[in-house]
Amino acid sequence: MAKRKTKSTFIGLKVTSEQAETLAQLQKALNSPTKTAVLLRGLELLASSSLPPTPPAQPTPRAAPQIATSLELSQIEAEARHYLNALAQTRNRSEEVMKQMVQELAKVDQTVDKYHGDRNYLIQILLDIQRENRWLPRDALIWISQKLDIPLSQIYHIATFYKAFSLVPQGRHSVSVCTGTACHVRGAPRLLEKVTDTLKIRPGETSSDLRFSLSTVNCLGCCALGPVMVVDEEYHSNPAIEEMEKIFSACE
Amino acid sequence: MPRLKSATDLETRRQEILARRDPDKPCVTICSGTGCHAYGSEKVAQTFAAEINKNGLKEKVDIRRTGCHGYCERGTIVVIFPQEICYLRVKPEDVPEIIETTLTKGEVVERLLYEGEDAQRIIHEGDIPFYKHQSRIVFGPNRFIDPKSIDDYIARGGYAALAKVLSGMTPEAVLAEVKKANLRGRGGGGFPAGMKWETTRNAPGEPKYVIVNADEGDPGAYMDRSLLEGNPHSVLEGLTIGAYAIGASQGFVYVRQEYPLAVENLNVALEQARDYGLLGENILGSGFDFDVMVHRGAGAFVSGESSALMTAIEGRVGEPRPKYIRTAVSGIWGKPSNLNNVETWATVPLIIDKGADWFSSIGTKGSKGTKIFSLVGKVNNTGLVEVPMGMTLREIIYDIGGGIPQGRKFKAVQTGGPSGGVIPESLIDTPVDFDELTKVGSMMGSGGMIVMDEDNCMVDVARYFLNFLSEESCGQCVPCREGIYQMLKILNRICAGQGRSGDIELLEEIAEVVRDASLCALGATAPNPVLSTIKYFRDEYKAHVEEKRCPAGVCKELISYYIDPEKCQACLLCLRNCPVEAITGGKNLIHVIDQDKCTKCSACFEVCPTRFGAVVKLSGVPVPEPVSTGTEVKRKRGGKSE
Repeated sequence: MAKRKTKSTFIGLKVTSEQAETLAQLQKALNSPTKTAVLLRGLELLASSSLPPTPPAQPTPRAAPQIATSLELSQIEAEARHYLNALAQTRNRSEEVMKQMVQELAKVDQTVDKYHGDRNYLIQILLDIQRENRWLPRDALIWISQKLDIPLSQIYHIATFYKAFSLVPQGRHSVSVCTGTACHVRGAPRLLEKVTDTLKIRPGETSSDLRFSLSTVNCLGCCALGPVMVVDEEYHSNPAIEEMEKIFSACE
Repeated sequence: MPRLKSATDLETRRQEILARRDPDKPCVTICSGTGCHAYGSEKVAQTFAAEINKNGLKEKVDIRRTGCHGYCERGTIVVIFPQEICYLRVKPEDVPEIIETTLTKGEVVERLLYEGEDAQRIIHEGDIPFYKHQSRIVFGPNRFIDPKSIDDYIARGGYAALAKVLSGMTPEAVLAEVKKANLRGRGGGGFPAGMKWETTRNAPGEPKYVIVNADEGDPGAYMDRSLLEGNPHSVLEGLTIGAYAIGASQGFVYVRQEYPLAVENLNVALEQARDYGLLGENILGSGFDFDVMVHRGAGAFVSGESSALMTAIEGRVGEPRPKYIRTAVSGIWGKPSNLNNVETWATVPLIIDKGADWFSSIGTKGSKGTKIFSLVGKVNNTGLVEVPMGMTLREIIYDIGGGIPQGRKFKAVQTGGPSGGVIPESLIDTPVDFDELTKVGSMMGSGGMIVMDEDNCMVDVARYFLNFLSEESCGQCVPCREGIYQMLKILNRICAGQGRSGDIELLEEIAEVVRDASLCALGATAPNPVLSTIKYFRDEYKAHVEEKRCPAGVCKELISYYIDPEKCQACLLCLRNCPVEAITGGKNLIHVIDQDKCTKCSACFEVCPTRFGAVVKLSGVPVPEPVSTGTEVKRKRGGKSE
């Protein structure tokens, strides 16, 4: 493992001696007893400087959800909405949000500690974070990059390579349609079409109200039921349109 | 639980477990494999527990939740011991009747038994045709064992092979036995396991690693999953024996995170094995140290390739590397690493236990032992089957699988997943054997066996696999990344009715380059689905390209739906079910499909009652002029028109 010269750490972050000095000065200037308070203040400054001076954007009235024009657009939109919400919240109740962020990062710390901070376990760490949040928030990835001393680009390489990871928030309910070979020959394409028509999203997309995420999977190991749709771990064998609508409307 | 310190300790423990168990005590076993889980076996098990309590039978009856029994078509499967009464398609509401009739009165519930051809009911699981023709030596114990109980495994003689190895065999002797058995890798390639072990053993460098490849990625194959979920100790025992023969002290299991139950059961098994001293330091007092770590794969088909898998274990992106030096010599962190598939490892204890001669007495000249297949697709008995090598595809599909549903005609069977090919009806008597399957242009693969009938389009099947592979190609090497993409583009246009003359030849040409020039096996075998479908179904390709016709009626752009005015009974079913309101008509009026509006979703075709059969699929012929709106139907019955 490559060893970089680090003189000091700051809440688990490796910092150079110069950075440590600046932080110590800041702590003194703030007259603050804890390092966390310094971090909070820093985040607060960051948030206020990046917020537009105008009042928070009024919620844009949306037409009935349409099938998104492209996968990329919808993903950018979902991520942007997440950050917009976060920023709006930051403005209103900054302290609370800061605490929440620190808590979230502390949770990441716990996961990293579970694997003894061993960078060989990077994929396992990311899997745990993905399961916890249903996506990989950018700040968590930056945090891990610092903690494990792995370039962020390398983490993104992994996060974009594997199908288990999502870089955008996922819906509260996951809908997957099996497109394994057995399901394919039994009519999975038609089932998938019915699902996309009903949910108005395509595989890989999340509905704009964050209610559903749709994905396709390769073989769920229940080929006798094929073609199969799985909603939140419940298996449905080739449901008809009405049945499907009933299943979806039961999801809040 | 005190650690077992010797082979004698293990045998003593086994006797203790058996002494605690009354073989005559009724035991309800409930299949909890993935298939049955999807049918709701969870609720069946809960209902059994609640009802048994309610009837005051708690002390008199055992409940055991086992791994996959294999007969997924008829889940949830419940088998009651000691009589071995097998109930199929059990629902929670059937449970009270089973308890009253079978557990209390000792009689059978006729209606839940298997019904044979002559309406004869079959009581015992082993007598059902689906099971009768199989040799379930590796997969069979699944149905007796609670995967979360090491005692269940030990009670059936589990870990005895490991004890035998550690108490009296040298690593060389173990190696010789596996080589003599001629065990070939079950993951697809069919490379002799003993030779691979020997290479790793003799390769310079320490430590050495052993790995279980449970990154089962073939769409339509789930035997490794069921084995790992249902009998994890058999895999661990095989791995430990292999580690001893090779001289490894660290093992890895690379298992897909999409298999949460496999991960869970494996972790439980590891804990139990450590508690019993069957893993860890000084196993069974032999001085041999070995432990296993679980690595969850994050979902990439190419990561199942050995060099890619090992890179992933190192915590990096699982991409393959050129294998001028085999992973057996330079694998994880550049150390000698031996990788075998789940099924291969699970077979090892059997070879040690019963001997190489016994093992090699099963199978063909070049392929020994048995192989588990997932028999799926258009077949009556979907499920996992284990057969001796050399059994013909016909026997598997008809004798075990019960043939094709709804009396349709068999067209082809696809083996080997995305790396394999299709085998047409004319070659259905081909035996399953590594070399024979390769000879006909397919391969054994990991064991997916997808049966297709006359309603499946072979061009569409080839397109399906290339679409899968183009998404899964890691993109490092040009032949695979671009070649698969170009072949897919051509197949897409053929399916869309825009095929050009020369397309088929172009496909063959690209396929050859992709096969010869790709970096890893994913690319090298990617052309198989295309080449084998062209080889055996060239006419079907030609029909698509030259006549713009899809004989199987699958490719959307090449078909139209039409309502035969002579047959339409104006039942309104299709009209109401059409999602785009493309059908006009009314009570007593012949229904007509507006071809411009029709999205070819097939809803009308599916709902039209078979006794009318009015909605037809047309391909390669112009759609007849519709009858004028408002034409009344001619009634079939009574012969009068209203």
